[in-house]
Amino acid sequence: MVKRKKQKSNMEELKKEVVMDDHKLTLEELSAKYSVDLTKGHSHQMAKEILTRDGPNTLTPPPTTPEWVKFCKQLFGGFSLLLWTGAILCFVAYSIQIYFNEEPAKDNLYLSIVLSVVVIITGCFSYYQEAKSSKIMESFKNMVPQQALVIRGGEKMQINVQEVVLGDLVEIKGGDRVPADLRLISAQGCKVDNSSLTGESEPQSRSPDFTHENPLETRNICFFSTNCVEGTARGIVIATGDSTVMGRIASLTSGLAVGQTPIAAEIQHFIHLITVVAVFLGVTFFVLSLLLGYGWLEAIIFLIGIIVANVPEGLLATVTVSLTLTAKRMARKNCLVKNLEAVETLGSTSTICSDKTGTLTQNCMTVTHMWFDMTVYEADTTEEQTGKTFAKSSDTWFILAQIAGLCNRADFKANQEILPIAKRATTGDASESALLKFIEQSYSSVAEMREKNPKVAEIPFNSTNKYQMSIHLREDSSQTHILTMKGAPERILEFCSTFLLNGQEHPMNDEMKEAFQKAYLELGGLGERVLGFCFLNLPSSFSKGFPFNTDEINFPMDNLCFVGLISMIDPPRTAVPDAVSKCRSAGIKVIMVTGDHPITAKAIAKSVGIISEGTETAEEVAARLKIPISKVDASAAKAIVVHGTELKDLQSKQLDQILQNHTEIVFARTSPQQKLIIVEGCQRLGAIVAVTGDGVNDSPALKKADIGIAMGISGSDVSKQAADMILLDDNFASIVTGVEEGRLIFDNLKKSIMYTLTSNIPEITPFLMFIILGIPLPLGTITILCIDLGTDMVPAISLAYESAESDIMKRLPRNPKTDNLVNHRLIGMAYGQIGMIQALAGFFTYFVILAENGFRPVDLLGIRLHWEDKYLNDLEDSYGQQWTYEQRKVVEFTCQTAFFVTIVVVQWADLIISKTRRNSAFQQGMRNKVLIFGILVETLLAAFLSYTPGMDVALRMYPLKITWWLCAIPYSILIFIYDEIRKLLIRQHPGGWVERETYY
Amino acid sequence: MRRQLRSRRAPSFPYSYRYRLDDPDEVNQNYLADEEEEAEEEARVTVVPKSEEEEEEEEKEEEEEEEKEEEEGQGQPTGNAWWQKLQIMNEYLWDPERRMFLARTGQSWSLILLIYFFFYASLAAVITLCMYTLFLTISPYIPTFTERVKPPGVMIRPFAHSLNFNFNVSEPDTWQHYVISLNGFLQGYNDSLQEEMNVDCPPGQYFIQDGNEDEDKKACQFKRSFLKNCSGLEDPTFGYSTGQPCILLKMNRVVGFRPDLGDPVKVSCKVQRGDENDIRSISYYPESASFDLRYYPYYGKLTHVNYTSPLVAMHFTDVVKNQAVPVQCQLKGKGIINDVINDRFVGRVIFTLNIET
Repeated sequence: MVKRKKQKSNMEELKKEVVMDDHKLTLEELSAKYSVDLTKGHSHQMAKEILTRDGPNTLTPPPTTPEWVKFCKQLFGGFSLLLWTGAILCFVAYSIQIYFNEEPAKDNLYLSIVLSVVVIITGCFSYYQEAKSSKIMESFKNMVPQQALVIRGGEKMQINVQEVVLGDLVEIKGGDRVPADLRLISAQGCKVDNSSLTGESEPQSRSPDFTHENPLETRNICFFSTNCVEGTARGIVIATGDSTVMGRIASLTSGLAVGQTPIAAEIQHFIHLITVVAVFLGVTFFVLSLLLGYGWLEAIIFLIGIIVANVPEGLLATVTVSLTLTAKRMARKNCLVKNLEAVETLGSTSTICSDKTGTLTQNCMTVTHMWFDMTVYEADTTEEQTGKTFAKSSDTWFILAQIAGLCNRADFKANQEILPIAKRATTGDASESALLKFIEQSYSSVAEMREKNPKVAEIPFNSTNKYQMSIHLREDSSQTHILTMKGAPERILEFCSTFLLNGQEHPMNDEMKEAFQKAYLELGGLGERVLGFCFLNLPSSFSKGFPFNTDEINFPMDNLCFVGLISMIDPPRTAVPDAVSKCRSAGIKVIMVTGDHPITAKAIAKSVGIISEGTETAEEVAARLKIPISKVDASAAKAIVVHGTELKDLQSKQLDQILQNHTEIVFARTSPQQKLIIVEGCQRLGAIVAVTGDGVNDSPALKKADIGIAMGISGSDVSKQAADMILLDDNFASIVTGVEEGRLIFDNLKKSIMYTLTSNIPEITPFLMFIILGIPLPLGTITILCIDLGTDMVPAISLAYESAESDIMKRLPRNPKTDNLVNHRLIGMAYGQIGMIQALAGFFTYFVILAENGFRPVDLLGIRLHWEDKYLNDLEDSYGQQWTYEQRKVVEFTCQTAFFVTIVVVQWADLIISKTRRNSAFQQGMRNKVLIFGILVETLLAAFLSYTPGMDVALRMYPLKITWWLCAIPYSILIFIYDEIRKLLIRQHPGGWVERETYY
Repeated sequence: MRRQLRSRRAPSFPYSYRYRLDDPDEVNQNYLADEEEEAEEEARVTVVPKSEEEEEEEEKEEEEEEEKEEEEGQGQPTGNAWWQKLQIMNEYLWDPERRMFLARTGQSWSLILLIYFFFYASLAAVITLCMYTLFLTISPYIPTFTERVKPPGVMIRPFAHSLNFNFNVSEPDTWQHYVISLNGFLQGYNDSLQEEMNVDCPPGQYFIQDGNEDEDKKACQFKRSFLKNCSGLEDPTFGYSTGQPCILLKMNRVVGFRPDLGDPVKVSCKVQRGDENDIRSISYYPESASFDLRYYPYYGKLTHVNYTSPLVAMHFTDVVKNQAVPVQCQLKGKGIINDVINDRFVGRVIFTLNIET
C-alpha cells in the first residue's frame, strides 16, 4: 500500500516540468558543485567511484513483461474468462454427477475439456500473432554501441557512453550523439538537433551563456541522446541515465498505466450481457425444474448446463481471427499493429492528437516561396517534385540562384548521385541545405557553380551580425570578385542602396521598401523562415589575389544591390491535407500538439487543414473587427492556438473548456508532460484519443493514448515502444485507412456476433424442452460443439470480409457509451426472433423424424424417464412396436444429427441476413466470395459429419434421409423474408419503432 | 446551470497569448533559431479582467464544489463506487422520475410485449401448420420407417430393473417380487381371456389378414397353459421356491415383421462365460422353444388391439447354486441378428442367475 502510494507520487513528480538550476550557475559554482576541474576533468579514480555509485549511463529499459505473463494474459484475458468459467462449471457438474451416480454421462467432462482446449488454442494463436509483430519491433532496435569523448585526468579518451559519469568533462562535435545531459562551458558554432525532445524542427545553436530560465530553452544545456549537428562544444555532465531529461520522459512513459482498449471494454460489456441472460435463464429453469418435481441435484446440473449452453464457444476464436485478418490487411497498407485489440481502436477514435514535426511535415526544410522582381513566386514543395514552376527566365532569378548557391556552406554528402535530390543527405544547417537542394533542383549543379566561382573569403553567420557574406572570383571575368550576402531580410536591406528588377539595377526607393515590407510580412505570416539576398560586383581594384581580410574589413560592404527574398518551411507531407479532411468528414477532431513555435505551427495547421479555411482564432476575429480580444464572441472563434506557457497555468477544467469549445485546436511549444496532460484532458471528456508522434517527447502521450501511433522510419525507439501501432511508411494518410478498417471491423464483428449468437437459441431450447416436456434430448453436447466450433466458424469469420454498407468515413465516430458492440437489440434479434425461428425449425425436423419412426409428438411428452432407462428394452411407441434402449438411442442421435443439419440450413439464411444491418441483401449483393465459401464449407462439413462411415461410433452422428434436410428450408425462407421486411421498415421509417427496437 | 456559466465565461482566458506580425524581429524569430527567446519572453499571459459578478459566481461555485468534495470525502471511500453502482442499478430497475421499469415506460413495455406476443403467435401458427402437414403424410396404422426397430429386440420377464436374479430359495422375501411380477404379466394370457378375445388360428403359417389398413385385425391365442410348468398354474411360485426359476422371454413387437417362412425363431440359452456345465438342464415351454409363425405379422396397436406377444419360458431346472451364472439367451433363425456389439438386447438377452440355498 505504502509502496503504491510512493509510486503514485513518483509519477506525479515525473509529470511535472523539469527543475534544474545548473544552467544558472557560473562556471566556478559548477566546478564546485561537481568537484571537477574544468580543464582536466575527473581523475580516473574519481570517475570509477562515481560510476560504481551512480551506475552506468543508460536508460533503464522499460520493464519487459516476461513471456509467460504475456501468454497468461492471452489465456485469461477478456473473453477467455467466460469460457474458463464455463469449463469449470462443467467440471463441477461432472464431479457432482460422479459423486452421486456411478456411471454418469461424460458430456459435461467432454464439454469442459473442449472449452479449455478452445481457450488454450485461441490463446496460443493470438500470442503467436503478437509475438510476430513484436519481433518486427525488435528489428527496429539500434544495437550499435555509442562512444563518447571525455577528458579525464587531463587526457582525452574515447569511452563507451555507458561509462560516462556525473561531472565528466565531455567534448562533442558535429555528428555526435550527446552522451548525457551537458552544461556547456565552451562552444564553437555548436548546433544541436533537439527535435526528438522538443519537436522543434530546426537545429538550435548552443553556447556557454545562460539565456533562459527554462532549462529546455536555455542555450547552455545539451540533452542526452539529442544530436549535435555541427560545431564543437565542451561541457560538464550534469545528469546521466535515468535522471537525464530524456530518461525522465522514458520512465514517465514506462510508468504510465495503460487503459483498456475500447474493444476490450466492448467485450466486457458483452460478457456482462451474456452472463445476465445465462444466469436469468438458468435460475428460471432451475426453479421450474424444482417445481416440475426434479431433485435438487438434477436441478443444479440443469442450472449449470443451461448457463454453460449460453457460452458461445466459437466466438472467441472468431473475434481473434477477424481481428488478425484486419491486422494483416492493415499491415499490407503499412500500418503495423502491435496489439491485436488496437486494430479496432482507430475505428472508435474521436480525437487525433498529432505531432507536427515528422508526422504532418516532412521534417526537412524546403524552399517554398521567393520574392523577386516585386512578385512572390511559389516553389515546388511536393515530396515528388511534381508541382508548378515559376519565372525562371528572369535575370534576377539567375543572380538570386547564384547568391543562394555560392553564399552557402552546405554540401551534399558523397556518393549519393543515384538518389533524387530531395532525398540526398547534406552537411550543414537545415536552411542552407534547403537552399542547396532548391538551387540544385531548379537551377543547376551547385558544385559546378562553386568550382567556377571559387570562394576567396567569407564571414560566417553569427547571431549579432545576422548575415553571412562570401566573396568569390567571378566566372565571366576571372580578375574581378563578386560579394554575395544573405541574412535576416531587414539587415540585408540596410546594406543595400539599389535593387534588382528584371536584371536591371534601380536605386532603392520608398515604393520598393514598402513592397519589401509587404512581402516580408506575407511570407513571415505563413510561418516561414525568410532570408534576404544581395550582392555587389567589387570594383576591379580588388582584382585576383587581393588579400581580403574579414576581421578588419578592407573592402566595401555597403551600397549593395538587393536581389530578393527566399522563404522556407518544413512543408507538410503531400497526403496530409487530404487525410485531415477525411478525418474531419469522419467526425474525428484533429488537434495539433507540437513543441514548435506557434506561428510555424499555425501556418502548418492552416496548410494541412487542421485550422480550416475561413475559421478564425479569437485574435484574428479581433484584428478583423478591430476590437479588443476580450470582446470577441466565443462562438465566432472556433479555432485556437494555445501556447505551452499558458497551458502550464491552466486548471484541468479550463483545459476541458478549451477542448470542448473549439473545433480546431493547435497546441504549440508544449513539453512532453503537457502533451500527456492534453491527452488526459481529451480522455476526460470521453473521447477516444489517438496520438501520432515520432519523438521521445511524444512517447508519454503515445502510451497514455487509447492508441499511440508511431512513425516507422523517422520515429525514435522510445516512441515505437510506447506506441500501439506503427506507420511503416510514416504516412499520416495510413491513419485514414486504419480508421476505415477499424470501423469496418467493428461493424463486421457485430454481424459476426449476431450470426453466432443466433444459433445459441436452437442450441439451448432443446435442453430446456428436455427438462420441461420430458422429451428425448433433441440436441446433444457433441452436436452443439460441432455447430459452435465447426460449421459456424468459417461463415462467422467470412463476415469479417464483408464490405461496408454505406460510406463509413462519412459518419461520426461511435459513442463508446451508447453504441456498443453488443446491445440489447442485438440480443433481442438474435435470441428473441431469428433464434426462435431456428429453434422451431429444429424441433420440426426432430418431430418429423421421431414421428416417421413411430413416436408421435404427443406420446413423447413425459417419456424421458422410460426413454433413458437402460433396462427398459421394450419401450412401446405409438404403433405398439417395442424398442430396445440402443435402438431408440440411435433414433435419438439421428434426430440430433438432423437437428444439427437443420441449424446449418437455417444458418444459411442467418448468414445472408447478417450480411447487412440496414440494407437489403439484394442491395448488398453476394460479392463476398469468402462468405459463399463459408456456406459451402458449412454444408459440406455437415454432410461429412452425417454420412461418413464410422461417425456413428465416433460422434454418434447418423446418416439422414434427404427429405430430412428439406424440413428446414421453409424456415430458412421465413427467416430471410422476415428480416428483409424488418430492414425495409428500418429503411423506410428512419428513427421509427422498428429501428429503435431492432437495429443493432 | 453550472454548465451555462462555464460556457459564458469560457472565452475569458485562452486568448492570452499573442504574437505580432508587425514586429520584424519576432517574425524572423526563426532565423537560424537564434531569436526565439526574446519572442518567448514577450509572449506574456494577458489576463482579461473579469467582471465582479463573474468572480462572485465563480467563488460560489468553488465553495459548492468544496462542500461537495467534503461530503464525498466523509462517505466511506471504498463503498462509494459500490453504492453508486447500486444506485444506478436501482434506477435501472425502477426510475420513478420517468416512470420506467428496466429502462422502459409502461407504454413501451406493453407495445413490445404485444409485438412479441403477435410474433410468437404467428410462429405458433407456422409450426402448427407444419405439424399438420406432417400428420397428413403419416399413416396412423403403419409407421413410415421400421428399419431402426429391426431386427427385433428381446426382453425377459420378470422385469425388475435389473438383469441379476439374486434370490435365496429358503427366503421367500427375496423371490416373492419375481412371482408377483410374473403373475401380473401373465394375467393377459389367462386361458379364459384368450379364448374369449382371440381366435385359435392354425399353427405353422402366417396369420395374414388382408383388407383395409383401418380394419380391425384379429389376434391369435397364446394361452398361459402353453407354458406348462412355467405357467404358474401348477406351481404358483414358478419354480422359485425350489431353486428352479422360470424366466419368460419375449421378442419385441415390430409392425410387419415376419420370421422366415417354415423356420420359426428358436430360443436357446447357455452359459455366457465360464463353465458350460453350470447349467445342466433347461426346459423350454412350449417345447419347440420357438415363436410360432401364426403370431406374425403384427399390424400395429390401433387395429391389432388384442395382439398377444408369444412367449418362450425357460425353466432352469438344474443350475449350479450359490454362484453367479451368466446366461445368454439367443434367438436363432434366418434373418435374425443376435450379435450386434452395441446393442446387447437385439436378438439376445444376457442375465445372471445367482440362486442361494
